[in-house]
Amino acid sequence: MKKVRLLGICCNWSPFACYNAAGMAQMKMPDNFRLIRVMCIGRINQALILRAFEYGADGVILLECNDEDCRYGPGPEIGHENVNRVRKLLHLLGIDQERLVEKSFAAHEREELVSALWDFVGKIEALGPVTEQEASAKYASLGIADDVTDTTRIAEFPPRRK
Amino acid sequence: MDKKIDSIIQDRFLYQCLECGKCTAVCPRRLTGKEYSPRLLVHKVIVEREDEAFIENAVWECLTCEICSEHCPSGVQFSGFILEMRELLAETKGLKGYRAHDGAIHSWMRMMTAPELKQNRLDWVTDDLKTASQGDVAYFVGCAPYFDIFFAGIEVDTLAIARDSIRLLNFLDIQPVLIPDERCCGHDLLWTGDRENFERLQKLNYKTFKDAGIREVIVSCPECYQILSEYMPKVIPGFDLKITLLLDLIQKEVHKGGTAFEPLKRRTTFQDPCRLSRMLDRSAGPRDLLTRIPDMRFAEMEHSGRNAICCGNSAFINCDAHSKQIQVQRLQEAKSTGADLLVTACPKCMIHLTCAMRDRLKQGNLKMEIRDLMSVLADQIKPYGG
Repeated sequence: MKKVRLLGICCNWSPFACYNAAGMAQMKMPDNFRLIRVMCIGRINQALILRAFEYGADGVILLECNDEDCRYGPGPEIGHENVNRVRKLLHLLGIDQERLVEKSFAAHEREELVSALWDFVGKIEALGPVTEQEASAKYASLGIADDVTDTTRIAEFPPRRK
Repeated sequence: MDKKIDSIIQDRFLYQCLECGKCTAVCPRRLTGKEYSPRLLVHKVIVEREDEAFIENAVWECLTCEICSEHCPSGVQFSGFILEMRELLAETKGLKGYRAHDGAIHSWMRMMTAPELKQNRLDWVTDDLKTASQGDVAYFVGCAPYFDIFFAGIEVDTLAIARDSIRLLNFLDIQPVLIPDERCCGHDLLWTGDRENFERLQKLNYKTFKDAGIREVIVSCPECYQILSEYMPKVIPGFDLKITLLLDLIQKEVHKGGTAFEPLKRRTTFQDPCRLSRMLDRSAGPRDLLTRIPDMRFAEMEHSGRNAICCGNSAFINCDAHSKQIQVQRLQEAKSTGADLLVTACPKCMIHLTCAMRDRLKQGNLKMEIRDLMSVLADQIKPYGG
């Protein structure tokens, strides 16, 4: 199977609490994706999601709070709208809309989060890379590393004890 | 690097600068209170080149609207100078300049450089539009389908321009080919210094046209026309496509006779896009066509034709408070003509001015209907005596 590049964009509150709890419980998580933590998914706009695809991501997952749980108010709603529009742009560009996934979680749903991640990884691996072309060479000058399977690079997460 | 700058200065006639300062006096950035001076940039790049920070900033901040060259008594090609400096700086120091909309527009343009791209860009074609699947003549849609989605939030209908252009072509008995794999013309990449990806787009587009057996490409957007007719031949050796601006085509047909216009009882004014009026020198065309519409009262803004003020932004970089100020001033000028319909000819003018109309602080008193020239003409044109 071809290596795919995956990016998770994670809200600092509920989803990151789940992610943290899952890590503390040493649940097995997919290691071929990178996680970016933001204070609120409302911070992410269309351009930033599109940029991930421009830089060679094969799948992007937005992990966000439930609509009513947002600490700031409209965060997840902004997320829905952005995902909607970026999906349409991806469709225009001939990229499968399913490569952009949006999931919301309550703060205690660590199992759901982990299984959502596994589903996401499985789905994108089945779809394969967006292009045959190696994006890494093209963007090497931007300082974006090629090797995304290196687990120590994922977020601020310490390496798991074996 | 110094040698390259020297040759740019030579090629763009910067040594002929008299330091009269007319360029600074008309620069829309300066008029809205920004500390920006084309004259000072020319001075620094010639004699004070060590002030790199200043030069770099000033090069990226220009709107490239070319109104300075319009007023320059010694023919300094300022926009050309900016273009080449941006290419040089992008090569040596990296792409800079604040990208509006976080660079999403440039993102999808770069994504289009992938050779195996399979776009779904023709979903908007409705049944009433007659298009051919094969033929000599293509219509270049450009970024309209992308803008339509991206700018849905400000309710601007850029696809209407494409639909109405095809309706006009149908009226002239032309059934254009719409190419499913055409890419962006690359205007914004060129003007933000990304030469490499710009050239890649030119090569891909040219190959797509050739593979589809196209001989003539009709373009409605002035930016696309400028790129396809002036810059693409420089990239492609043996370029042999005929590029036609839809405005020219309609003007020619109207002059031949056989067409007339339905009356439109509106008071209109025209926003000249910088590429159309100054760079392509076609400010007379839209006026010629608009004034033929019966019952329409056409009023000029204070700054019009080759002297028109920019819509505040170009190539989607450097949108800031000063850009907004330019747009607000422009809309106030349009309002003061008493017009209730603002006509323009470039989708970007339409996007930028629509955005400014929605300024909350102005409480909607800048609102006026804005339409593309092609839409107005497509609604009014009819056969002579028909």
